[in-house]
Amino acid sequence: MKPPAKMSKPTSLFVIFFSLFVMSEAVFEDQVGKFDWRQQYVGKTLFAHFDSHSQSSKKLFLATDKNIFASFNSRTGELFWRHVDKAGPEGTIDILLLHGQDALMVVGGGRLLRSWDTNMGGLNWEAVLDTGSFQAACFVAMQDTVKHVAVLKKAAISLHYLTNGHQKWVENLPDSDTVQYQAVYSGGEEEVYVLGVVPNSHLTIIAYSLEDGEIIKQRSVEAPWLSSVESSCVVVGHGVLMCVDTATLALYALPIQSLDLEVSPGFQPVLVSSQPHPARSPISEFFLQLGPDHHVLLQLNADGYTIAPLRDFQPAFLVSFSTTGEKTVAAVMTPKNETVKKKKNVASCMWSYSSDVFPPQLYVHAFLKKDDSVGYRVLVQTQDHALTFIQQPGRVVWTREEALADVVTMEMVDLPLTGTQAELEGEFGKKADGLFPMVLKRLSSQVILLQAWLAHLWKLFYEARKPHGQVKNEVTIETLSRDEFNLQKMMVMVTASGKLFGIDSKSGSILWKHYLENVQPNAVFKLIVQRTTAHFPHPPQCTLLIKDKDTGLASLHVFNPIFGRKSHIAPPALPRPILQSLLLPVIDQDYAKVLLLVDDQYKVTAFPSTKNVLQQLQEMASSIFFYLIRSDQGNLSGFRLRKDLSTERIWEVVLPTEVQKIVAVNGKRPNEHVHSQGRVMGDRSVLYKYLNPNLLAVVTESTDAHPERAFVGVFLVDGVTGRIIHEAVQRKARGPVHFVHSENWVVYEYWNTKSRRNEFSVLELFEGTELYNSTVFSSLDRPHLPQVLQQTYIFPSPITTMEATLTEKGITSRHLLVGLPSGAILSLPKMFLDPRRPEVVTEHSREENLIPYAPEMPIRTEWFINYNQTVARVKGIYTAPSGLESTCLVVAYGLDIYQTRVYPSKQFDVLKDDYDYVLISSVLFALFFATMISKRLAQVKLLNRAWR
Amino acid sequence: MWLHVRLSEVCLFLQAMFILACCFSDMESGPIATSGSVQPNGDRFKIEGRAIVPGVKTQDWISSARVTVEGEEYIGFLRTDGSFVVNDVPSGSYVVEVISPGYKFEAVRVDITSKGKMRARLVNFIKTSEVIRQPYPLQLRSSGPHTYFMKRETWGWTDFLMNPMVMMMVLPLLIIVLLPKVVNTNDPEMRKEMEQSMNMLNPNPELPDVSEFMTKLFSGSKSSSSKAIGGSKCQNITCTSGLRNYCNWSCHGNYNAIFKKSFFIRLYNCFLSRVFFPLSNNPRVCTTLVLCQF
Repeated sequence: MKPPAKMSKPTSLFVIFFSLFVMSEAVFEDQVGKFDWRQQYVGKTLFAHFDSHSQSSKKLFLATDKNIFASFNSRTGELFWRHVDKAGPEGTIDILLLHGQDALMVVGGGRLLRSWDTNMGGLNWEAVLDTGSFQAACFVAMQDTVKHVAVLKKAAISLHYLTNGHQKWVENLPDSDTVQYQAVYSGGEEEVYVLGVVPNSHLTIIAYSLEDGEIIKQRSVEAPWLSSVESSCVVVGHGVLMCVDTATLALYALPIQSLDLEVSPGFQPVLVSSQPHPARSPISEFFLQLGPDHHVLLQLNADGYTIAPLRDFQPAFLVSFSTTGEKTVAAVMTPKNETVKKKKNVASCMWSYSSDVFPPQLYVHAFLKKDDSVGYRVLVQTQDHALTFIQQPGRVVWTREEALADVVTMEMVDLPLTGTQAELEGEFGKKADGLFPMVLKRLSSQVILLQAWLAHLWKLFYEARKPHGQVKNEVTIETLSRDEFNLQKMMVMVTASGKLFGIDSKSGSILWKHYLENVQPNAVFKLIVQRTTAHFPHPPQCTLLIKDKDTGLASLHVFNPIFGRKSHIAPPALPRPILQSLLLPVIDQDYAKVLLLVDDQYKVTAFPSTKNVLQQLQEMASSIFFYLIRSDQGNLSGFRLRKDLSTERIWEVVLPTEVQKIVAVNGKRPNEHVHSQGRVMGDRSVLYKYLNPNLLAVVTESTDAHPERAFVGVFLVDGVTGRIIHEAVQRKARGPVHFVHSENWVVYEYWNTKSRRNEFSVLELFEGTELYNSTVFSSLDRPHLPQVLQQTYIFPSPITTMEATLTEKGITSRHLLVGLPSGAILSLPKMFLDPRRPEVVTEHSREENLIPYAPEMPIRTEWFINYNQTVARVKGIYTAPSGLESTCLVVAYGLDIYQTRVYPSKQFDVLKDDYDYVLISSVLFALFFATMISKRLAQVKLLNRAWR
Repeated sequence: MWLHVRLSEVCLFLQAMFILACCFSDMESGPIATSGSVQPNGDRFKIEGRAIVPGVKTQDWISSARVTVEGEEYIGFLRTDGSFVVNDVPSGSYVVEVISPGYKFEAVRVDITSKGKMRARLVNFIKTSEVIRQPYPLQLRSSGPHTYFMKRETWGWTDFLMNPMVMMMVLPLLIIVLLPKVVNTNDPEMRKEMEQSMNMLNPNPELPDVSEFMTKLFSGSKSSSSKAIGGSKCQNITCTSGLRNYCNWSCHGNYNAIFKKSFFIRLYNCFLSRVFFPLSNNPRVCTTLVLCQF
């Protein structure tokens, strides 16, 4: 093999450095689970079914608000499998029905009907339903076998075969413009009943023939008191429709009967009944909810006309039925944090389980034990989206924190130092007080370290003697302390439901949780670390800004990120809507950074607002600038703080909303360090980077969505002066635009409408070969505009999110972490996104290690930092520096949470984990002995020579 | 340095790929055969196909797999037999992909006309209008499991010994140790031949020469070795010059030591040239390197 020598040289260089990347990036197989963990979630449960197919089954099926159908192991709470459908209304699960091994689902507001094989986790079939909003669905049985499913739409009813999803018949409902059809019922006869209501007028019942969909009977019942079938009517016993009258609280069992029951004022009574098998009639017992905490168990007598109250449950929040064999269980949850279990034949048992959050849903599963007694399992979902599984004696088997399926924002906070560590650190911080005391201090701290080490050894020895399995390395808040390289941190996660979590980044265990009760569902959150752990004895302090999206009214929640406890510091009252918040580098006497909140009258509130802070603010006011974005008005404006904490507008950029709308604005991360001021080029000159800390990247999208006229704009605006530094327009492009703004570059990704592909574009800003003012950067004194270089590449996959790695000092090369729809997280070297990549390789570009330009960006599975641990629906990637310059901590969150470490330039500052100690030490010993022996031999030889 | 040697084999292949990529860089995207416009009230179509992982039961992988059309725009799930249907897709051109954390599948572009005619072709992001037809309904065959992990570099004796660096160190050592014992460097014919062959390798006279170095070395130790091979005789050894032309030789009598030695040196030269030629055509590199080794 002999390639032409001229070509081989550049290419071999290229190859070498390609291979270096490969080495630096990939995970080794033995590292699996060593630094990384993943937690999978499904979201808030909408429907839950226990697998009653076989007696010993441990499967649990859930359909959630995140459009997920999942199967769980009911013993451990682990996922068997999970199917993630499209997010948004097109994938919503309208109903989940379970029959034997088949799970039937109506998806997307009556768009599709799906049948799943619950055993394998695969699809049996999928059928497209006719348009029309979904109302109800039920199984239809014939002669004790369930063969069909009926789907009720707003204007039509259709019957499908269970085996293949084919439609048996579809019928339009009569008078569907006036009658609201809301329920469908089948009791095992040859008929399917559809219930419709004309509010406050009459009730319509239509019976369809199962065979051909012909209307057999149609009946109209006067019911001026009825407004909705869904909650007020149930079918009880042998085909008796039971409806409740809200006003008079009469129960209408078609013949009307009044009961002496009292309903809470303003409460809409609800009926709950159960139909254990689609081929049989519902049971004749049913619950009537009379108030938020009042239920009555009633029974329809055999004559079908009279109702007898069985038992009154007050207080009782939730009720549920479950049937196994011939026995039916009703579960009632009482507010004393107790679950009352009551068998149909009044033998009741009580379990208690404590929860401080109101549970909105309760699912019971009853099963026959071997000795023919009835066992129960209960699944409780509380308002904070925690899912708890309880076994019979009231034992909590597992709890899943499903709120974590919707993490909104997060921060990583350093763990506190231990006493000894603090002692050591203190030694360096203090001022020198003479040589002798310093030496003493040094010695004493060394002694302390020795003690700690000995104690550690003793513990190891002691634990080694214990039988295996007893040793538990559980992480608790008490034992938390910073490790040597600050690789273990506290992840503070804020979820959309308003629940805050503190998670240990090393193990992934939840160390604390705090539920904020009255958070609106449309709230937006911003988490701010005001004081880190570095200021002992002051506790670290985080502030969560919770803002109502509609009104703009905000509140602050101040807490300790290590323990999750609410701080005693009273946050300021915020009576006006908040437009902007900014964290200043100014610190008060307690080392807390100052948070400024700007309200809609452009007044500024400082938190903390002590005298000291206000004084500092007054001094610094003239150099505090901030910007506001009004994307609805296409307005970007800059403000300056005045001494009296009012503001003045100093600049304004208007991007006309008829043409384009502002999609996103992003500054640089405040904790980012840039190590090198410039880049050394091939001819040994330096190209200085344009490092403007006030630079904002503004991304706009055209309002015109036509593929020929759509465009994406990127504006680089100086946040202090409002000067537009650069403007790039990508024609024939549309969003969603994902971008990262860091150092002197902006990387953005868009959809090319002409070529129908995703493209990456990189903008890099350089000052040129000379720096204007090398000591300090001021936006007000920069006469020259930077040189802007741009290059675009094809990216062979859509992306969902993007973030850049971050290290302590910024020496390590940067990588982009790209979340792909497949759930993989790609670590793409920034080197591939370098606008100076040459099309023609020259001596200089080779010297600079520039990769020759290639239009298509590679995606290699070796670059997936999460190998097969995919993160479904990646929403954000959080990067944090660790104590090691080479290491960057990464948390990807979406539906799942994945934590790992990345080494963009390999581990250059620590020994690798595969370091061969044995080889090195054996070579050392061998050399040592060789020298000893040769020394001895030489001596003998010398001696012999002397004798000669 | 030995990395170069190993990689040189790869580089030809990659170089070809690289040139190919460069050729395509001036991309042109002509209008595509199918219309990309989506009618708001137009018909919805379905994309059908089947995914197969050879040698793996469907139940082992379908529960974690799904079919995505243009990212997550439309999603389909796999049936228990590996087939799939993505419903409710308007006309247009889409990249259809089977996503599985365990197995890799090639993506396919599916074009749907406004009348519902379907066509599948290979995905080419650079030449977007290029059409290489694929079967429709889609037949997606997995090309095996994903390679997520790098192999750790393990340390073994064979790796160590087969390392060209080590071989280069061991062979000269052998030569240094063995040659003086067998070569009669005083033989003028032999010396001449050696010089000749060495000069072939090293045309630059200014640089220090291996042959010189060697002869110096050998002549230093001749006294001890001359006795051993003094008796050997060979008259007609003719050697044509040329690096890869081995000697035309005729030797009366027995295979004597001289021939063996000269052959050995040539073999060594050839070895050096073999090792370094892929990297550079300049023989200077190898001689200097060998010197470093010494």
